[in-house]
Amino acid sequence: MEQRYAIEMRGICKSFGSVAANQGIDLEVRPGEILALLGENGSGKTTLMNMLSGIYKPDSGAIFVDGQEVSINSPEDAKKLGIGMVHQHFKLVDVFSAADNIWLGDEKAGGILKKDRYDIIGETAKTFGFDIDPRKKVYNMSVSEKQTLEIVKVLYYGAKIVILDEPTAVLTVQETSKLFDVLRRMKASGHAIIIITHKLNEVLEISDRVAILRKGEHICTVETASADEQQLTEHMVGRKVELDIQRPVVEKARPLLEIRDLTIRNDEGAAAIDGVSFYIRGGEILGVAGIAGCGQKELCEAIAGLRPIESGMMIHRGEDIVGLSPKAILEKGISMSFIPEDRLGMGLAPSMSITDNMLLKKYDQARGPFVDRKGGRAEAEQVIRDLEIVTPSTETPVRRLSGGNVQKVLLGREIKAGPNVIVTAYPVRGLDINSSYAVYDILNQQKKDGVGILFVGEDLDVLIGLCDKIMVLCHGKVMGVVHAHKTTKEELGLMMTGALDLTHKYEGKPAGYARDSRIGEVGMGDEEVEG
Amino acid sequence: MREPLFRAVKQEGAGPVRQLMAYGTAVLLALAVGAALLAVQGVDPITFYKQMLTMGIPGSRYPWRAVENFVKLFVPLLIVSLALALAFKMRFWNIGGEGQFIMGAFWAGFAAMRLGERLPQPVMVLVMALCGALGGGLYGILAAALKVRFGTNETLLTLMLNYIALYFLQFFAETKAPWNFFLDPGSARPKFAKFPGSAQMILIPVGPFRLNLSLIAALVLCALIFVYLNYTKRGYEIAVVGDSPSTARYAGMKVGRIVIRTVFLSAALIGMAGAFHMSSAGVMSASPTNDVGWTGIVVAWLAKLDTMGILVVSLLITVLQFGCQTASAAYPSIDANFANLLQGVILFTVLAADLFTRFKIVVRGRKEAGK
Repeated sequence: MEQRYAIEMRGICKSFGSVAANQGIDLEVRPGEILALLGENGSGKTTLMNMLSGIYKPDSGAIFVDGQEVSINSPEDAKKLGIGMVHQHFKLVDVFSAADNIWLGDEKAGGILKKDRYDIIGETAKTFGFDIDPRKKVYNMSVSEKQTLEIVKVLYYGAKIVILDEPTAVLTVQETSKLFDVLRRMKASGHAIIIITHKLNEVLEISDRVAILRKGEHICTVETASADEQQLTEHMVGRKVELDIQRPVVEKARPLLEIRDLTIRNDEGAAAIDGVSFYIRGGEILGVAGIAGCGQKELCEAIAGLRPIESGMMIHRGEDIVGLSPKAILEKGISMSFIPEDRLGMGLAPSMSITDNMLLKKYDQARGPFVDRKGGRAEAEQVIRDLEIVTPSTETPVRRLSGGNVQKVLLGREIKAGPNVIVTAYPVRGLDINSSYAVYDILNQQKKDGVGILFVGEDLDVLIGLCDKIMVLCHGKVMGVVHAHKTTKEELGLMMTGALDLTHKYEGKPAGYARDSRIGEVGMGDEEVEG
Repeated sequence: MREPLFRAVKQEGAGPVRQLMAYGTAVLLALAVGAALLAVQGVDPITFYKQMLTMGIPGSRYPWRAVENFVKLFVPLLIVSLALALAFKMRFWNIGGEGQFIMGAFWAGFAAMRLGERLPQPVMVLVMALCGALGGGLYGILAAALKVRFGTNETLLTLMLNYIALYFLQFFAETKAPWNFFLDPGSARPKFAKFPGSAQMILIPVGPFRLNLSLIAALVLCALIFVYLNYTKRGYEIAVVGDSPSTARYAGMKVGRIVIRTVFLSAALIGMAGAFHMSSAGVMSASPTNDVGWTGIVVAWLAKLDTMGILVVSLLITVLQFGCQTASAAYPSIDANFANLLQGVILFTVLAADLFTRFKIVVRGRKEAGK
């Protein structure tokens, strides 16, 4: 490989107000190389890449492309220099077709939409080895398709340097491996690739070298071949970190939440959850595995009372909760936190302060007509202290916090409310290792306190390490519930795709029915477990 | 690739002093533009502005009368701006202030003409205010209920309802018929009759000045809305619904009910402003609004929906309008429209100033400060 760098950054500094996001960073990528950029949330990875793509300007330092010093003042400049970035939040026009989204930025295309644009774009995609339908509208696309479109767009404009900001955060295992095939092909054709990700196994799998940032500083760059997870984590966090997820053994209590033959329709009217039965005991974490969009969201919403159910039973401590209002369900001690793909959509009011967000579910409990901000502030202070949330103050709007801290605020509030059932979906989505482990610890602590937890996750390693049992969904149907310490990733993978059905593994009782069910003892119940 | 001559750098947390300075500069800049326009027309800008800012009060034979007229302009604008901010906080784009004001004025007038002879003044003024609030509020609920039920666009609906209200009122203004009790029976041409004496706004004499009761009502409302929005549970709900309706639903709030309640309140306050305006004027008018439904939007946004900010901004805008009105009386080439023009320029420069408080401009080659 020739020694000239495709891109070279020297002594880059950038600050926002009094916060230094990047301090004297050096970075270089060769053509035909994949560089992974690793760092905790808020360590300045995205800021650094935004300077390459022309969104920000460095305060000081120099950028060289092919050995030439350049000044990148706009995304337009970056495009001309052959730098393309695939952002974490896609920059696509939903109502346009795939081809039009690409065509949109093409100055040479002229002012008229020609019919042949579909063919031209389809051809381009094919030459790079992508399979996209140029006429398909973006709003009909899956997350993975949108991402492919973003990559095709970048390549169409002749990018030689491609930056991907957390491309795998929203992808399934299968989609990720497809993406990596694409990246390897691009690498083979001489593209320089920078990939930002939190997932260490992916870093080790795909990259040639790893650059590690911590608190805005460049710690080191290592050859991937000579690195391992433990070492990378230590560089990233700055101290030794235990990489094993704990699974404390807890005395199990009687079922807290029992779901029987539940059927839920999605927004289009199709069955999203189809005849599902399961139960959660106190002191247990039940994992839910499944390919994205196979009913997890609808299930969570139904339990929280946000989505009407078609048929079935939802019994909480022997009491029917079907048809109760979200508020009534909250008051029973069932907490639901769902981290959507945009991380802010549900559960938090982004423009409001941490204090106000603490009050979200209980503002109505204060006596009199006024909101109890004093109590909220005290709670906010406590959650900030307990979960080590980085924030200027309790009055900072939540949207100003970095992703990890936003999630800690949400989770902190949910736990503060002292629930007896926690339903949490993707609580570590997009979080760095340190924050992820903090979240696992929080959940384990709750489990020890006798709370029943439904954990909807994406990472199978985490599910296997953290959960007691794992329920696998495929197209809204249960493929079986397995013990986490007895199962393997392969088995789960087969079940997720529907190739393996273990629902009738245990004879003697119907699948998903608890032996000591509380169904039928309505109105009794609370004597032995108190959340 | 060369660096451009200027570029904008985002900066956070510009202090209040800096912000005030930016706004002050913006207003001065707008006044300078106005001065140039005045000079072109042969009017001495300094004399004109002096007259505008003093609103012709010094040297007048009835200085207190000028203040009373000022209050009559100020009160509706203050209440309407406050009420609009209430809906805007919830991201409900109520641009139907005009229509709700007219409906409030109409039903207040209705009450005045029907009951004015029978009820004593304090009761009558109160009844008018309540009728106005109910009339405006129900008119507002129309758009809110349709939005909650069918997801219609409130901007379009409230806008269209403005015109319906306007022509509804004009129908009564121009239809000479025996049943039309709004009109003066003594006049051959259609003309609104004066309200009975008890339907006139209560004026409290303070020395030579007669204090319009609606001013006190408006200031009390201002304080109440401040508390409502910032400290009560209902105000909290408005903020959450405005920020993220899905989060509000998740938190167990009944979003539809909150929207309807808030829009009713917003429209009812606007209707009440219409009622106050009617009893202060003492007679119906076919176009009673003086554009407060529109100006109120400008005020609410200039004040960034802040209640205290609205108090200040609406006061300043009224000085501008009333001052221009009085000052232009001395110059044949200038009329009250100059106030609208100046208002537009001020809005423009203040928005620009806003940009400068959020970004700073860095000139090529110079290092950014604070390094």
